[in-house]
Amino acid sequence: MLTQCSHFPGFHAEPIPEVVYALGSRDGFTSPLSVALKPACSALEFIGVSFALTGVHRRQLAPLATDPATSKDRYLIAGYAPPGLPEDFARALSERRAQAARQYLIESGVEAVRLQTVGFGFDSAPNAPGANVVVVYRQ
Amino acid sequence: MSALRLTFLLLYFGAVFFPASAATIPAWLKFWKDKDAHSVANNTPSLTLGAFSGGTGESAKQALMKELNSTRQFKLTNVDPDFTVTANSVGGRVNGRLVNRSGKELLGRTYAAPGLDENLKAFADDLILAVTGKPGLATSRIVFVSDKTGTKQVYLCDSNGQDVQQVTHHSHGCVSPTLSMDGTTIAYTSYASGFPIVQVLDLGQGWERTVTDTPGSSFGASFAPDGERLAVVMSFLGNPEIFVTDLNANSAACISDSTGAPSSPAWHPDGQQVIFADDRGDGPRLYVTEVPKSNEAEAKLIRWRTGYVFCADPEFSPNADSVAFTARIGGELAVVVKGWPTGPSCVIQKGGASHPSWSPDGQYLCYSQNGTLYLHHRTTGHRRIILSGQGQITEPRWMK
Repeated sequence: MLTQCSHFPGFHAEPIPEVVYALGSRDGFTSPLSVALKPACSALEFIGVSFALTGVHRRQLAPLATDPATSKDRYLIAGYAPPGLPEDFARALSERRAQAARQYLIESGVEAVRLQTVGFGFDSAPNAPGANVVVVYRQ
Repeated sequence: MSALRLTFLLLYFGAVFFPASAATIPAWLKFWKDKDAHSVANNTPSLTLGAFSGGTGESAKQALMKELNSTRQFKLTNVDPDFTVTANSVGGRVNGRLVNRSGKELLGRTYAAPGLDENLKAFADDLILAVTGKPGLATSRIVFVSDKTGTKQVYLCDSNGQDVQQVTHHSHGCVSPTLSMDGTTIAYTSYASGFPIVQVLDLGQGWERTVTDTPGSSFGASFAPDGERLAVVMSFLGNPEIFVTDLNANSAACISDSTGAPSSPAWHPDGQQVIFADDRGDGPRLYVTEVPKSNEAEAKLIRWRTGYVFCADPEFSPNADSVAFTARIGGELAVVVKGWPTGPSCVIQKGGASHPSWSPDGQYLCYSQNGTLYLHHRTTGHRRIILSGQGQITEPRWMK
């Protein structure tokens, strides 16, 4: 008989952190729409319309914050969404996911001025990812 | 057997309480019948097209008759009409006149645009406005996005899906368009720089200017009824929020308070409230915020419960009695209309229909479904394709 219920790991939804760091200037950042950019890590895959980072996402992002060799690199964090969602919502969702990744990198020690976000929804060119992902491009 | 018994009981009930003769119909039923007959006979104004003089007079008369017939706003008859239209047309120019039954002139105007069709559409809209008090649709425009050139660009068409014009030719595309109330200005999100920025294009004079070029993303522009303010989503503060920008002062004020993903703001016709979708971690829901009149005041925010757990792209009807929005029903997008602030919900179209937008008179909705643009009559439920074969058509917005 179940007499006591404690926290089930992974059962409850991840808390949603509030993003508080304003974005710096976009000068000098290059868009993946203009040129082919190299991802700095594997794409962060999301499920459904969630925008909270999971442990897997944090593990993927962690090397960007801890590697001294990349400490001066700048990153463009680009969110993408699959077709089938309302277009404007897809843009907001992909931007919010990019902001969540940026927030984690800032909290992990990356300078805020070296990070820029953009949410493409599913507006981008046909060769861009058409899925529920966030891609971190090294600038 | 039981069906036969039920039929007998119904017949017996009818014979006792509602005998067959018309004279014995209950008073409330007679009232309903009379009211119905009255509305059909008298509420649709009758109109006749009188003398159309001049070189292009006869062709103008035929084209105007066709235009007015398509609007279904008038009963065109020569027998005891409520209103009479006369005109003189030379070289495409039209001098139109509308008089009522007693001969009083209600409208007298010269239409001197370059083409006869353009003049007659304007004349038809003026006739509808003068008689019914509602705006006509002949000169109204629908703005939408199509990818038929390979990138998403903004296009315009009329309310019949005719006269399609490509408005933008930006590299990397343009999306999320909206028209001002008078149809002279379009706001949209441009990817010309590689990043989403909101721009405004004056259709009459051709100038284009950037409204927001802030870090992060900017999209979802919506003109206020006064045409001087724009509600838009921006994320330069570190989280997407709804802002209201003053186009004259180039200032912006945040009116949402979200930790989620707000999108698709749309104005109430009174210009004092904005409705938008916001995903706070459990799917997009609809919220309404009161736009403060001064910078010192705080915006009031309420959640508007629709009964659906996934709602986006809301838009108030022109008389503000309803809101149309995109919902997700059974895994598919659908267009739903719900009474504002309270009222029943009505599913207008399932099967991937999305992004509804009201006609200026509130009688029609346009929406996209599987890349096709549809027009849906609010009362009759009749729908028809007005534009297809133009690539994937998305994000239609009707001018108000």
